[in-house]
Amino acid sequence: MEMVNITINGQKISAPAGITILKAAQQAGIDIPTLCNHPALSPTGACRVCVVEVEGQRTLITACTFPITDGLVIQTESPQVVKARKFILDMLFSERNHFCMYCQMSGDCELQNLGYRYGIDHWVFPTYTKGFPVDATRKYFLMEHNRCVLCGRCERACGTLVANHTLGLRNRGAKSMIHADANLTFGDSSCVSCGTCLQVCPTGALCDKRSAFMGRDEQTQHVKTTCSHCSVGCAMEIVTRGGNVMKILGDWDGAVNGGVLCQHGRFDPLYDERTRITSPLIRQKGKLVPANWDEALQVVAKRLGKADAKSIGVLASSNVTNEALYLLDKLFSKEMKVANVGLLNRAAPRLFEKPQGSLADIEKSDVILVVGADPVKDQPVASFLVKRTVDRGGRLIVVDGEDNGLAPFAYMHLPMADTGKAVEIAGRANNPVILYGTGAPEKTVNALKKLQGKAAFVALEQGTNTRAAVAFGFANGFKPSAVKTLFLLLGEQDGIGVEALEGIGKGAFIVVQASFASPLTEQADVVLPMAIWSERSGSLTNTEGRVQKVSKAVEPEGEAKADWEIISLLAEKMDKKLGASLEELSARATQNIK
Amino acid sequence: MTKVKIATDWLAGCAGCHMSLLDIDERVVKLLEAVEFTSSPVTDLKHPPKEGVTVGILEGAICNTHNIEVAKQMRERCQILIAIGDCATFGGIPAMRNLVGTEAALKRAYLETESVVDGLIPDSPELGKPLETVTGVGEVVKVDLFIPGCPPRADALFYALSELLAGRVPVILPPEHFVYD
Repeated sequence: MEMVNITINGQKISAPAGITILKAAQQAGIDIPTLCNHPALSPTGACRVCVVEVEGQRTLITACTFPITDGLVIQTESPQVVKARKFILDMLFSERNHFCMYCQMSGDCELQNLGYRYGIDHWVFPTYTKGFPVDATRKYFLMEHNRCVLCGRCERACGTLVANHTLGLRNRGAKSMIHADANLTFGDSSCVSCGTCLQVCPTGALCDKRSAFMGRDEQTQHVKTTCSHCSVGCAMEIVTRGGNVMKILGDWDGAVNGGVLCQHGRFDPLYDERTRITSPLIRQKGKLVPANWDEALQVVAKRLGKADAKSIGVLASSNVTNEALYLLDKLFSKEMKVANVGLLNRAAPRLFEKPQGSLADIEKSDVILVVGADPVKDQPVASFLVKRTVDRGGRLIVVDGEDNGLAPFAYMHLPMADTGKAVEIAGRANNPVILYGTGAPEKTVNALKKLQGKAAFVALEQGTNTRAAVAFGFANGFKPSAVKTLFLLLGEQDGIGVEALEGIGKGAFIVVQASFASPLTEQADVVLPMAIWSERSGSLTNTEGRVQKVSKAVEPEGEAKADWEIISLLAEKMDKKLGASLEELSARATQNIK
Repeated sequence: MTKVKIATDWLAGCAGCHMSLLDIDERVVKLLEAVEFTSSPVTDLKHPPKEGVTVGILEGAICNTHNIEVAKQMRERCQILIAIGDCATFGGIPAMRNLVGTEAALKRAYLETESVVDGLIPDSPELGKPLETVTGVGEVVKVDLFIPGCPPRADALFYALSELLAGRVPVILPPEHFVYD
C-alpha cells in the first residue's frame, strides 16, 4: 500500500494514497463533521457539511469524497470552512420542519448535533411553510417527510446493502422527496421492512413506531448478541431501558450480516404477543397447576429415572442454544442411553464432512446456484447477499419450484430435474457458489457433488441452530410409536402444533420445555418455562458452522430459565453430574460441533 | 450603585419561559440586588418604561400584528434584546400553524372543532390580526442574543443575565446551556 504525506490543521499525517480526506482525518483522530456520510455506505457528498479547505483547490471540497494525494494541505475548521458549514446548516434547517421539541429523535439526531456544534441558535432564512406528507402505512416504522434532509442514506442502504431498490429520490430542489417504487405508499411498495433505512436515518424522518419517545440513546443499554430467528446468525444489538427491550439494531461489525437485519430479526420479536409461561406447571387431576421448580423437576426426574431408555423419546426445536443441545445429548443419549431422538425441523442434506464454503463466498462469486432453498422466505439476509451479487453482475440460477422468492432475480430458473444443466453452467464459472436446502432431493445432491473443489457450498438450514442439532445427532429420525415418555424441547418455536405428537400413544407422559403457551403445552404433563432470545446467554451455531455468542439483555419473565439451565438442573435432580459454568459448557459444546 | 433595569414580555408563547426564569429559585434574591424587574407579565407594570431599560426579554413567536407591536416597542425601549425559548428563536409550536395555513387553522379551531356550536372566528378590532406565517422574533426586530430551549433551562437564563451583569454579552451560549428542546 502506497503511503502519502498530508497535513491536516498543521498536523503531519501519513495515510494510504487514495483514501478520502475524511478517512485519513478519522485515522489521525481529527473530527470532521458529516451528515449524509455513513461508514457502511458509499459516500456521495450530498449534504456538503464535511467541506474542508484544501490548498490549491478553487473551492471548498467535500472531505467524504476527495481522495488524498501526496502533499495535500487541509484545514478542517478554518474561518472560511466554519462560515460555509453554518451557511449549509442554516439552509438545511430552513427546509422543512426541524423543530426539535416535537421530534422523538431529539438528543440522538445528527442534524441537531451539528446545530449545537455550530451554534445555530436561530434561523437566518425563512422557514419552509409547505407541509409534507407522513407515510405511516408500514407496520413497524413511519416516514415523516417533514424531517427529511434528503441525505439519501436510506436510498443507498436500500439499494446497496439490501439490494431491494425500493427507495428513490424524485422531483428537484425544495420539492425533492424520498419515494418508494416511484410513488407508492411504503405499505404498498416492494419494501421488505428490513429496517436498514431506519437504522441509518440521521434525523427523525424514519421513526420506529415502537421505541419512539421511549428514551434517548444515553438512557439505554446496548447488548451485543446474535439473532436467533434463522440459521444465518446475524449480529445484532438489543437496546433496553429499565429492563425492557426497546428495539433491535443491526451490528455493523457483524461477521455475517455487516449490520443488515431482516424484518424477522429486527421487528417481529418485539411484536410477539403469544402468552408466556411464567412458572413450572404440573398436571394434577387432569389440570395443569403452577408448581415450583423443585417440584416440577422432581416429577420429571422420577418419571425419567423409572422409565426404560427404549420408551423415552426426545424431540428438540433447533431454536435453542448449543449449550442446551449439548446437555440434552449428554443427559439423554450419553448418560441415559436414549436412542430415539429427533429434531422438529428438517435438516439440509449433508454433502461433505467438512465445510466447503461460507456465506461470504456469495459476494465473491460470479454464478450462484440456489437449489431447493428459498432464502427470501427462510433466511432473508442471505437473500440480500444473493441480490447484492446479482446487482454486481453475478448470475443467479434457481433450481426450485415456481414460487421461489429469488425467481424474479434469476438469470435462469430450472426445475429440479434439470439440476445437471445448472451444474454444467456452474462448472464453467470462475467462482461458483452453491446454496442448497432441504428441498434438494438425493439425486440432485449427488449431481451437485460433481462441483466439489470447484464451487463453494453453503447449506441454508431451516430453523436456527440446526447445524449444531445435526452435530449432536438429533436429526436421525424420530420414531413416535415406541414413546411412552417424551421430553419435548419446544422452546420459542412457533408453527409447531399437536401434529408433533402424532403417533405417540395415548397415556404417554409428556414433558414440554417451552416459552409460550400453545396447544402442545396444553397436552403436557409437566411444563418447564423457558427464557426467550433476549433473556438467555449461550451460543448458537449458524448455517456455516460459525459459533456465535448470544447474550442476555433482560431478566427472564416470571420464573423462566435459560434453555440449558433447565436441562442442567434436571440432570442434577437425576444425580447426573453435568453441571458446569456457562463458559465450560460453551467450550464443551463448541468442541462437539467442530 | 443603580440597578440594571430589565423588562420582559410574552408574545405567542405559553408562559413556560417565564416559569423557567422563576426557576432560578433562590438565586433571584441575589439577582435582585443588582437588577430591577420593571415591566413583565407578572408585575403590575405591563409595558416597558418610556425612559427605557437595559435588557429586554421576549418569549413567544410572532403570530399576529399585536405581537409585532409589542416586539417593536420592546426593541425601542431596551438596549439589549434577548429572545428566549424556541418560539421566540425559531417560531416553535405556534409555527406548526404554517404547515396548514392560518385560515385553515382558524377554521379548524373556531368553526370545525367537535365541541363548537355556532362557531365564530374572532375578529374584534381590539385583537391583533393573525399573520400568514408565524416566525421567530428575529424576523421583525434585531435580536442581540438568542436563548433557545423549550423552555430554556433556568441555568441558561441565569448564566446569560450573570454574563450581562459582568459586562459581557454572550454571543452563543456555551454547550451546557444550549438546548433545542
